[in-house]
Amino acid sequence: MRNTADLLPGTLDMLILKAVSLKPLHGYGVLLRIRQISGDALEIPQGSLYPALYRLEHQGLIAAEWGQSENNRRAKYYTLTAAGRRRLREETAGWNRLASAIAAALNTTSEEV
Amino acid sequence: MFRRLRSLLRVLASRRDFESGMTEELRFHIEQYADELVRSGVPAPEARRRARLEFGDLNSVKGDCRQERGLYWFDELRRELRYAVRSLRKTPAFTTTAILTLALCIGANLTIFAVIDAILLRPLPLPHSGRLVTLYNTYPKAGVARDGASIADYYEFRSHIPAFRSLSLYSFGAATVGNPGSTLREPVTHVTPEFFATLGEGAAIGRVFTDAEMTHQTDDVAILSDAYWKEHFHADARAIGKKVWVDGFPKTVVGVLPPGFHFLSSGSQLYLPLSSSPEQRTPAERHSGGNVVQMLARLRPGATVEQAQAQIDAQNGALEKYDPQAKLMAAAGFRSLVVPLHADQVASIRPTLLVLQSGAFVLLLIGIVNLVNLLLVRATARSKELAVRQALGASRAHVMSEVAAETTLLTLFGGLLGLAVAAGGIRLVALLGADRLPFGAQIAFDGRLALVAVAAAIVLGIVLAAPIGWFHLRLHPADALQSEGRGGTAGRSAQTLRHGFIVAQIALAFVLLTGAGLLGISLKRAMEVSPGFRPDHVVAGQISLVGSKYPSPKSGLAFIQRLVTKLDREPGVSSAGVATNIPFSGKNGKSAATVAGHIFRPGESPRGYYSYGVAGSYFQAMGFTLKAGRFLTGADSRRGARVCVVDEDFASYYWPHGSALGHRLFQGSEQAPENEAFTIVGVVGSIKQAGLTDDTAQGAVYYPYIDRVNNNFFVVVRGSLHPEALGLVLQKAVRQINPDLAASEIQSMDDRIDASLITRRSPALLGGIFSAIALLLVVIGTYGALSYAVAQRRREIAVRIALGARPEQIRAQFLSLAVRLLAGGMALGLIGAWLAGQAMQAVLFHVTAHSPAILAGAAAIIAAASFAACLLPARRAARLSPMQALAEQ
Repeated sequence: MRNTADLLPGTLDMLILKAVSLKPLHGYGVLLRIRQISGDALEIPQGSLYPALYRLEHQGLIAAEWGQSENNRRAKYYTLTAAGRRRLREETAGWNRLASAIAAALNTTSEEV
Repeated sequence: MFRRLRSLLRVLASRRDFESGMTEELRFHIEQYADELVRSGVPAPEARRRARLEFGDLNSVKGDCRQERGLYWFDELRRELRYAVRSLRKTPAFTTTAILTLALCIGANLTIFAVIDAILLRPLPLPHSGRLVTLYNTYPKAGVARDGASIADYYEFRSHIPAFRSLSLYSFGAATVGNPGSTLREPVTHVTPEFFATLGEGAAIGRVFTDAEMTHQTDDVAILSDAYWKEHFHADARAIGKKVWVDGFPKTVVGVLPPGFHFLSSGSQLYLPLSSSPEQRTPAERHSGGNVVQMLARLRPGATVEQAQAQIDAQNGALEKYDPQAKLMAAAGFRSLVVPLHADQVASIRPTLLVLQSGAFVLLLIGIVNLVNLLLVRATARSKELAVRQALGASRAHVMSEVAAETTLLTLFGGLLGLAVAAGGIRLVALLGADRLPFGAQIAFDGRLALVAVAAAIVLGIVLAAPIGWFHLRLHPADALQSEGRGGTAGRSAQTLRHGFIVAQIALAFVLLTGAGLLGISLKRAMEVSPGFRPDHVVAGQISLVGSKYPSPKSGLAFIQRLVTKLDREPGVSSAGVATNIPFSGKNGKSAATVAGHIFRPGESPRGYYSYGVAGSYFQAMGFTLKAGRFLTGADSRRGARVCVVDEDFASYYWPHGSALGHRLFQGSEQAPENEAFTIVGVVGSIKQAGLTDDTAQGAVYYPYIDRVNNNFFVVVRGSLHPEALGLVLQKAVRQINPDLAASEIQSMDDRIDASLITRRSPALLGGIFSAIALLLVVIGTYGALSYAVAQRRREIAVRIALGARPEQIRAQFLSLAVRLLAGGMALGLIGAWLAGQAMQAVLFHVTAHSPAILAGAAAIIAAASFAACLLPARRAARLSPMQALAEQ
């Protein structure tokens, strides 16, 4: 049995927002953080991470700033903006509604119909 | 939306930082990953290889990132533009021709647009200026189309017309302003109290005039313009209450106008009360306008000109019972017309400007057609390349955007250069005297024009791209690869299109040439009109008798007699005289005169005539011709002889078969007591008063000066001296008699006539310039098309020559093509010229819109030009060496 899941379309942006909401991160850090908080279950395709970051920055949901990495190298750090925080809240709520609805639907037994 | 735009602009502003940042960020990522792999035990080189591999194609990730930042279109555009620049630089002859063509055509249009914008389009620089209207009295059946308004009208209409928020009078004039002894004449405007409120302005300091200040006893007040206040009172607010001297009398300053206030084209320094006597306000004086004062009103918000007109008509109807002349005036077709102020000011120049703009537009069309043809030839040469690229996967949108980038780049350069041409054109227009047109001083080279130029250039770029894009996309690439091969003959449809454009170009040039010809012939005809007097060697200047030295008509006459006698004695002067108005003075008021014993025929009404008071040897000085009897002399004024002279038009109207001499007439529109009659002692030739193109021969009456006194008169001097020297003689004589006086507006009569032709000469000249450019474009276009046709068929020609065709046959083949194109163009052009002639009726003078001579002339010029353009390519074809041509393949 596979222990990693493919990302559902549209969920990458939400996960990035969540990751940078905890702490400012550089791109590679975002990758690690998502892997970590999903308990190694979610694997981000590396090629699509950066376009997503640029898209979110373009939309003003995250902001980028150059800083020092742990091993003293120049790296671009992303933080959540106020607009990003709002978006994350909405998306989380929406996701939870969808997930519980789907879970409820899938848990239905023949007696309940 | 706004946020994204800002983010995009930020990236565009520092594009290099964006690129290097992105590279660094991605490299950092890969290295971090490689480090992690090394830590988990993978050897370093292998770790780096795997990190790069797992990351994917770096360039495609970068491309995705750029696209997410909204940079895709910009990068695409940049690529297209770079490509366009490169391909344009490869063909410098084409690029130069195209840009110069565009520059000339766009420049011509921008120049005329600048004039139209200033004169017709821009609203007056006054608040809600669309609500300003002017009113004037008209007596069409008396031959008086426009007679200004009277002071009585003002007091009768004021606060009786609900459609008007306010109503006022104004009168432009000049006055000697400054301390006694100053002879500087400044423009001034006399106004009624509501004048400034009507315009929507008030005094910046102090106040405007009051009703109480509108009588001759109380009008010793003045309002200063901002400029005059700054210059003479050093912008001191304490100027209120101080005195300024106007025509030798002190006036108290009551107000200062805001900076930037100006009304129409007047540069008035001072505003004075338009005062009147109680008699001038009575109904008997209703019809005494004479174009001296003008009426100005502001419509109430929501009120229309039509409502105002209806209310004015009703008011005039109600007033009829108080008007002693009501019946006579009704017979003369009397009405007071309400006309929007701006439209009224520009009414006379509007048709001319629209004709010129149409001409410039036709020129632009010729330029576009020329360019499309050149571009089509170019596109043909490149069609194989584009077909290959399409076959290799270039999308239709890509081909289209590439074409559009190239044409837009051309038109933008053309537009920029066109702005430079327009800058020169605006200079030229100013040199031609455009600032003398209403609002002509506003004509300017400004940001608005630059904006129009850029917008026009972009639109043109797209217009030009359309046919070229169609040309490339119309064929399946496979067909394109086969057709129009270098060795074969030209593709049918492309060739038909190119030739069609040549026909269109010839037709348009023909229209432009006939239009310019009509303007030119109109000018020539106008210049051929005799003014009725001899304008050479005559100088006229204006004098205003001001100050306390001239209280009575007699004292004025004494001054005139001294001046005339003095001038007569000057060496180089042959005769001198005075008249209250002279031809081409711009003052065209008429007065009524009634022949004693004349009974109006049914439908006939009192008539208005140009009326003059003359003294000295005015007729000799101006060079009138005597038809019967004698001229008036200075003695007539001195003796108080009640005599007058009429012109031929007057005489032949009343006495078509007999002599006018000995008959008597009265001033005014009614029969009067015997002792007020003037006996006609002479008949003189008719003159043109308003302008050479003045067609109505209404008649004129000349009275002795003392019977038609005006403190504002013209002195006319004829002599063998140069006009400038004559002017100096006049000025010196005036100063010697009274050092406080000066003659103003001294000008030769030739110059005055010349200036009156400005609205004909400048358009004719501009039309000529447009035509010359159009001809040049036709020559370039025809030469280009024929040369290309020859080049395309080199092989065919070579084969035919090799098989024995004579050079004349080859030449004839191409010349007959040229003749066919020319004939088609002329046929279309005739239709266009007919339409253009119809549209131009309003600006033509003594020439029919479809003058065969002009049509033939235009045809001959175009035929000669396009034939000349054909000869070289045709000769080249005839002289082709078959061996060489076939060997090239």
